[in-house]
Amino acid sequence: MSISTPGGNQRRPSVVSTGKKAPASKATADGKPATDDKSAASGGKTGTTTKTGPKTGAGRPGGGGKGGKGRKPIAPVKVSQGRAWGPIAMFVAVGVLAAGIIGYGAWAAFQGSKPWEERAADIPGITNFRESDPELVAGSQHTPEPVQYTVLPPVAGPHNASWQNCSGDVYDAPIANEHAVHSLEHGAIWITYRPDLPQDQVARLAERVQGTDKTFMSPFEGLDQPISLQAWGYQLKVDDAGDSRIDDFIGALRINASIEGPTALCAQGITATGNAPRNLGGGQ
Amino acid sequence: MVTSVEAEVSTNADTSAPGDSTERRPAPRYSLVVVAIALVVGLLAGYAGGWITPTLTRPGEGSPEVGFARDMSAHHAQAVEMGLIAFRNATDPDTQQIGIDIAAAQQGEIGTMQTWLRFWGVDTSGPQAPMAWMPDGAEAMRDRGNLMPGMATPEQMAALRAATGIQVDLLFIQLMRDHHLGGIHMADAIIDMTDDPEVIKVATTMKNTQQTEIANFNTLEKRLTS
Repeated sequence: MSISTPGGNQRRPSVVSTGKKAPASKATADGKPATDDKSAASGGKTGTTTKTGPKTGAGRPGGGGKGGKGRKPIAPVKVSQGRAWGPIAMFVAVGVLAAGIIGYGAWAAFQGSKPWEERAADIPGITNFRESDPELVAGSQHTPEPVQYTVLPPVAGPHNASWQNCSGDVYDAPIANEHAVHSLEHGAIWITYRPDLPQDQVARLAERVQGTDKTFMSPFEGLDQPISLQAWGYQLKVDDAGDSRIDDFIGALRINASIEGPTALCAQGITATGNAPRNLGGGQ
Repeated sequence: MVTSVEAEVSTNADTSAPGDSTERRPAPRYSLVVVAIALVVGLLAGYAGGWITPTLTRPGEGSPEVGFARDMSAHHAQAVEMGLIAFRNATDPDTQQIGIDIAAAQQGEIGTMQTWLRFWGVDTSGPQAPMAWMPDGAEAMRDRGNLMPGMATPEQMAALRAATGIQVDLLFIQLMRDHHLGGIHMADAIIDMTDDPEVIKVATTMKNTQQTEIANFNTLEKRLTS
């Protein structure tokens, strides 16, 4: 391999040397522009009339490793003819474009193949409570009591035995945290927004939710930012319904964030609104 | 690496012709065609390797992963039936809720495990006896009439189907708690035995979920019997 070249100046480009100084006129003798390739190809055969010696490891001419001492520098063949730049430019452009497309495709495939945990971590501004508070997101006991959640809107913790229906449900009034957290455990994305969010923004959020199982949304009192997204152990607050991170969040965490498996139900849940958890079983 | 490079350098120095430095030997030139062919052959070899490797390394007949996927599918199927009975017949809405939750989640896990078997190129059932993949599997089944750990007997299932009122809730809780304990035992075993990350992930989810549900059964049972 050329890695063994000690001097670093032993490797000559294969397009200049013909072994003898070719007159520049030769190239245009027959009216055709001689390309470097042609002269190089002929150089290999006709340029040397001496015997071919035994092949050395690197296949270099004798005197290698001595920095080319005692050898006259060989003048490159001058091609006076103008090149056809058009086709060259076109091929270069096409090549660059193809490389770009292939490169981007490979990059996108690589990005897409990242585990969802990594894709979630890549979202700017996301809060990962699985890292900061593993205790909170580990298990989840059912309780009929109201729960005082430390993180609001809540992202994990004890919850009611009934989950909030999360098959693309758009609630127009606040819902009970104790039901919503159970839905998060099932892998749903809960979009919450300040009640004063403009109607067109609410509609943009509803577009993402309606008809999409494992998502639900509701207004939430006292948010410090207009919109807050929750998955089990994750939260992202944004100012605008057009923020592209909303789709990133849903893409990385919907269903994936479930700690109960990918087919935990969103159907058969509570569909009523109101802040108080409902104990259908009369557990008080 | 370094030593081999040095060796090559010294070889070059030894074999290079001294003296007449004007006499030049031609460098053997590898034509572009040869390089291109080598490149294509190399790419094809790499592609073939990448294509064949998963086939050679996937769990096969007789592996613990295949045994687990088959047995846990059967184990889960009974839990799905119990959960649906609770959903339909239980008295307390919390029991109904936990019943349908278990039925849906475990039916989904059955789908996952059946997909593994299909991708691994093995049948959904095999020549091995149930639990043969587990070190103490035969032991666990010996005094249970050939039932896997935690499985309800046909008599118990008949009793659950025939139960009415609060008895449905209480019997369901009792049977499903035992069922979960057996399931956790099996999940623990495969987590110890396999290094397949997908199998570990799914089995760990099963184990955690069922442990959480056992705690919730206890809470529910306390409330229903008080």
